[in-house]
Amino acid sequence: MYEEPYRWVEAVGNRRQYLDDQLREGTPVVGVSYERGILLMTMSKGTPKLYEIYDRLALGGMGHPADLEKLRFNLLEMAHVEGFNRSASDVTGSRLVKYGIAPVIKQAFEEVFKAPFIVKILLAELSRKAGRDGFLTINYDGTFEEKSRYAVLAATSVIEQKMIGYVRQQSIVSLKDAVDVAIRTWAVGDRAQRLALEDGEGHHEAMAATDQQVTDAEPLYAHVRRCVAEKTIECVLLDRQVQEPSKYRALEADELGRVLPEHLSASIS
Amino acid sequence: MQGDFYQLLKEQGYVFGSSGQAGARQELTTATTILAFKYREGVLVAGDRRATAGNMVMYDRTDKVLEIDQHSVMAIAGVPATAYEMARILEHSFKYYRRTQLQELSFEGKLRALSKLLKENVAAALAGTGAVAPIFAGYDAGQEAAKIYFYDILGAEFEGVEYAVSGSGSSTIRGILHYLNTWGEQPLSTMPEEPATVQALRLLTSAAEFDSATGGVNREAGLYPVIKFITAGGVRVMPDLQLRSLFESRVARSV
Repeated sequence: MYEEPYRWVEAVGNRRQYLDDQLREGTPVVGVSYERGILLMTMSKGTPKLYEIYDRLALGGMGHPADLEKLRFNLLEMAHVEGFNRSASDVTGSRLVKYGIAPVIKQAFEEVFKAPFIVKILLAELSRKAGRDGFLTINYDGTFEEKSRYAVLAATSVIEQKMIGYVRQQSIVSLKDAVDVAIRTWAVGDRAQRLALEDGEGHHEAMAATDQQVTDAEPLYAHVRRCVAEKTIECVLLDRQVQEPSKYRALEADELGRVLPEHLSASIS
Repeated sequence: MQGDFYQLLKEQGYVFGSSGQAGARQELTTATTILAFKYREGVLVAGDRRATAGNMVMYDRTDKVLEIDQHSVMAIAGVPATAYEMARILEHSFKYYRRTQLQELSFEGKLRALSKLLKENVAAALAGTGAVAPIFAGYDAGQEAAKIYFYDILGAEFEGVEYAVSGSGSSTIRGILHYLNTWGEQPLSTMPEEPATVQALRLLTSAAEFDSATGGVNREAGLYPVIKFITAGGVRVMPDLQLRSLFESRVARSV
């Protein structure tokens, strides 16, 4: 039945609806660049969502854990074989995405008889010089975008735009700034997603209402304080000051406690 | 097997350790002196910096004490081309395992990985084109202890309880190490870092005295052996400036 072009387009459209629906309850991911490197932040319930891919590459994802795991392994295999056969400098996020997983995701999305990947991916790449760090985001249909300074993942592109609009206005220099801005940006996205879920069809009205509040930080901190009752703040860094070739490190609880904004540190510790 | 980088490489068509016969007139780059012993805080690993091919000195700045990851070091004796390739495979294997499995490979797993590579290399080792007899030292997080292992060219692994040596100059210093450890002022394993470094410098200088394939200290060129320490905190390199100072004050006068 899909041999007719119209049917195929319709099937792909249905698939978009299905994937949007599957991702509605996903947890947003935020990546921001700061003076010493890149911070990736999300909140998770047990299963981590942030991973090391190669010496200067880290991954954040939302969606189905099994799909994310499959694509994470694809990236790891490609990166390590490339790094071994050529050199670590030849392992770049751009090549891994453009010639690696983006075509795989696109193919799975368009093969309507097979299951698509229920994922959105954010790949962060630390450059050797500050100011040149980059991000790549990949949607469930294989479309990708290259960004600098910051990038986000959320359930819908509308919410992602809202988060980008928020993070764009912030000034980030230190790690403390980066953690603060990432957490607030995450809260902008997560609040918008929850309102959209609660409101169902009328989610545009709910979103419009939250637009009034995002400039004020306190409601965002309050949202995070509510969330940490059931989830854990997950932060990883690509830290230019790490001496070893691998620049990835997790921000452990004690260090995170020291850099959390005051509005949160008491309730989280 | 999950997280096995070497298996992944082989699936991609990579071949390691292919044998070939050394030509009758062909001199391979070999020979060295490497040593490791336990000192108070962990393990010290040291190596001279000379690479030779027959009577010819090929290079005097070789680093034969290779950091494989933050907590392990492989010191190499034998054919450098093969040894460096092994080090590269191990480095990627440990990283790949950590990143895929989200945990460090165990110390036993690391030892086994090197043993497997040496076994794969047997044909080349016996043909005379790729023999490597390394020392592997690292911090075993499970047992909270730094450990030393040495290997023969066929891949058999032996634990060096107190110390291990390998390379063409090793026979000279093996006896000295035994003497020092048994009848010296204090056992090597109780020595602080600085006296341990002095002993390592003296041992390598002695090896260079009797083995032409081991490079000694070249003060004019500022060339000192490579000395690395493995402790719970990871691998640390002794800087040349510090080596120079210790050599001038505690070793040179006795040469």
